[in-house]
Amino acid sequence: MAEANSISGKDLQEMFTAATGWLEKSAADVDALNVFPVPDGDTGTNMLLTMRSSIEDAYQVANNSVSAVAQAIARGALIGARGNSGVILSQIWNGLAQGLDEKETMTGADLVQGLLLASRTAYNGLSNPVEGTILTVIREAAEAAEKHASEVSNDLISVMEATVEAARESVANTPTLLPVLKECGVVDAGGQGLYTILEGALHYLKGETEQLKLRRPWMVASSIPLTTRAPQMVGAEDEVPYGYCTNFVIKGAELDPEKLRRRLEKKGLSVIVIGDDSAVRVHIHTLDPGDIMHYVNHLGTLHQINIRNMDEQYRDFLEMQKERMPEVDTAIVAVVVGEGLSQVFTSLGTTIIVPGGQTMNPSTKDLLQAVEAVPSEKVIILPNNKNIVLTAEQVPALTEKKIHVVPTRTVPQGVAALLAFDYEADLETNTVSMYQAHLEVKSIEVTRAVRATRLGGLDIKKNQAIGFLDGDLVAVADKPEEVLNEVLERVEPDKAEVVTIYYGADTKPAEAEQAAASIRERYSQLQVEVVQGGQPHYNYIASVE
Amino acid sequence: MTVKIITDSLGDIPPGIAEELGITVIPINVIFGNINYRDGVDLTTEQFYDKLAASKVFPTTIVPSLGRYADAYDQVAEETGDIIVITNSHKLSASYETAVLARERMKKKCRVEVIDSLSAIMAQGLIVMAAARAAKDGARLDKILEGVRNNIPRAHIRMAFGTLEYLRRGGRIGKAKTFLGMVLKVSPILGIRDGEIYPFAREHSRARAIDYLYEFADGFTGIEGIGVEDVTTPGEAEELARRLQARFLGETIYRSRVGPAVGAHVGPRVLGVAVLGDRDQP
Repeated sequence: MAEANSISGKDLQEMFTAATGWLEKSAADVDALNVFPVPDGDTGTNMLLTMRSSIEDAYQVANNSVSAVAQAIARGALIGARGNSGVILSQIWNGLAQGLDEKETMTGADLVQGLLLASRTAYNGLSNPVEGTILTVIREAAEAAEKHASEVSNDLISVMEATVEAARESVANTPTLLPVLKECGVVDAGGQGLYTILEGALHYLKGETEQLKLRRPWMVASSIPLTTRAPQMVGAEDEVPYGYCTNFVIKGAELDPEKLRRRLEKKGLSVIVIGDDSAVRVHIHTLDPGDIMHYVNHLGTLHQINIRNMDEQYRDFLEMQKERMPEVDTAIVAVVVGEGLSQVFTSLGTTIIVPGGQTMNPSTKDLLQAVEAVPSEKVIILPNNKNIVLTAEQVPALTEKKIHVVPTRTVPQGVAALLAFDYEADLETNTVSMYQAHLEVKSIEVTRAVRATRLGGLDIKKNQAIGFLDGDLVAVADKPEEVLNEVLERVEPDKAEVVTIYYGADTKPAEAEQAAASIRERYSQLQVEVVQGGQPHYNYIASVE
Repeated sequence: MTVKIITDSLGDIPPGIAEELGITVIPINVIFGNINYRDGVDLTTEQFYDKLAASKVFPTTIVPSLGRYADAYDQVAEETGDIIVITNSHKLSASYETAVLARERMKKKCRVEVIDSLSAIMAQGLIVMAAARAAKDGARLDKILEGVRNNIPRAHIRMAFGTLEYLRRGGRIGKAKTFLGMVLKVSPILGIRDGEIYPFAREHSRARAIDYLYEFADGFTGIEGIGVEDVTTPGEAEELARRLQARFLGETIYRSRVGPAVGAHVGPRVLGVAVLGDRDQP
């Protein structure tokens, strides 16, 4: 089946069979991804069973037109749909069938048409479409197919390649759209399933049958890392699973899917109702499945009833998630203020951030709570401020957990310590190497004088910019940038490698960039990085390594 | 009868060594657009990386067919009745699966043992080279197999990365996804553990990342092989090899280059050190 500009109904059957086989190989991995809208935990299996039902119907068609086969696929998917994503998948094939209506064969242009309608039908089928799911993936894939066909080539394989590539990018991007995915560090399971199906279809179109046999689909990795939540968010109710995932089909006469959906939306969440006046498929998450069954029983006959407890699935899911992350048994609690700085610390692997810093010192209790909240028996605390080191050192005596404090007195020291964290090493080894690393960095802090004074041989007027080097006041000037430069001159910048400048909430990005540019100009060997720290009080915090 | 060793091209055996030790290397294919290149055969490493830098298309890699593996077995079976095939980690490619299945497609009668190195690039290469040396010295098949099994947990690799984007796109990032999305520009140090990519450390500059690689190798005893390899930065690799040579005076420091099939997944600027030996620290 290589090198074709259009395919027949028979080819479409086989393409779906190949795609289903491809999905089958990774169905278990897709199951493991599932978190949305509450963890059903079986998205891959549901999509696979939906696809199988499609194929069964597809092979009952005697007619060799793509139109007839696509309609059979859509019908099979509707009747066989399971779970949230299975139902949405059936809507997608329904749209595809509409796009291929009355077509004998499918060309690249027909595929584009089918995908666009698939996307539209999928969105229309839901009362509350959510981005960052399979919906986004089908939409972005369809848009990419359309763009490719009009701007590059409308050759069938070429269009399919563009579709698959766009689907992959879209899947990788789902965590940026859907916070629950970001928190779990996974991509959307339904999106991954759809991508895999499309990729399987592409392999078939390209005649790559041996690979379909031998290789396995790759799981798309999230484009953003796993982030850990702040302590106050632990146990937030938006993710607590509830009740039963309830699925069934009603067969009867004069059914009204619209009306039924409106009714069911009052009785549960994640409601999906699709079908026509003779058969309707329902998916709902509810606390009382009995009430739902009782309500729909009079509408017609019930088929394929499937009710599962989601709490059990959720527990299994959490267990599985644990296994998927690096087996780090040491957690890190850091005291940080400023959105940018918090991001820096989180992205470097801080488990919990306790907000605080200059003039906002957290209490021993605040730190203790954070230490107790982390899912680990061993914790390293980074106080990141000289006024907090002592507070942090009170914590080990107050908890059963094993706590080490690396006495970081500045933000740059905290970052240097964090970078030295070794994922392989134990608590003791890490404490030693982080301690060593925090000594090896020079910290510059630039702020404004709150009153006039004379200190360290410097005459300081109120509101002038003052600069500290490792906690010692060493420079004063009218502009913060002047002070930054003056302090930098004291640390032999011609021998340093990296300068990182974190600019504060009151500093304009352009000013920070200009300061960095002037440093680069004077010291061409320096790698100067500018990061929005967002910290209050300090115009600049900089590290020199 | 001498045992013969076969491996895939993902082990980055240094140029000349395969011939010297009588190792048969099966090239892994790289696909750019619609064109299929055999690793190291149709495309030199230089040409590949020029193409990678210039192309907007993302290359993919494909393990050759069962038939290609079976042909290689049959060809080697002309000379011997005992073959050991050492493959790339099954978590990183389909080489192991293919190598196992290919045995049934062989025409000749020959004992073929397939072992998963649970590794890649020169860590895999060093395991293969040690096996080939034993074979050349006349060791029997079972003895060599035992040696390979012992060496698998002793082969370590660390790589300093320029970017993790290629790994992410290729789907092989494994647990190193923890390192994605860092706000600061840091050099991630990754390695292979339990057959997959694993995050080990981060350094704030390239120079420090290279120091890390040196110190990593420095922590070994009982060394049976050290390899240094680069993707597009041979100068850095030469310098690091020189430093390591000064530290390990009696050892040969093997220099190699990451082949295109792996290069497509790790991207330019990866610099790696592989050691076969015993680590001082756990």
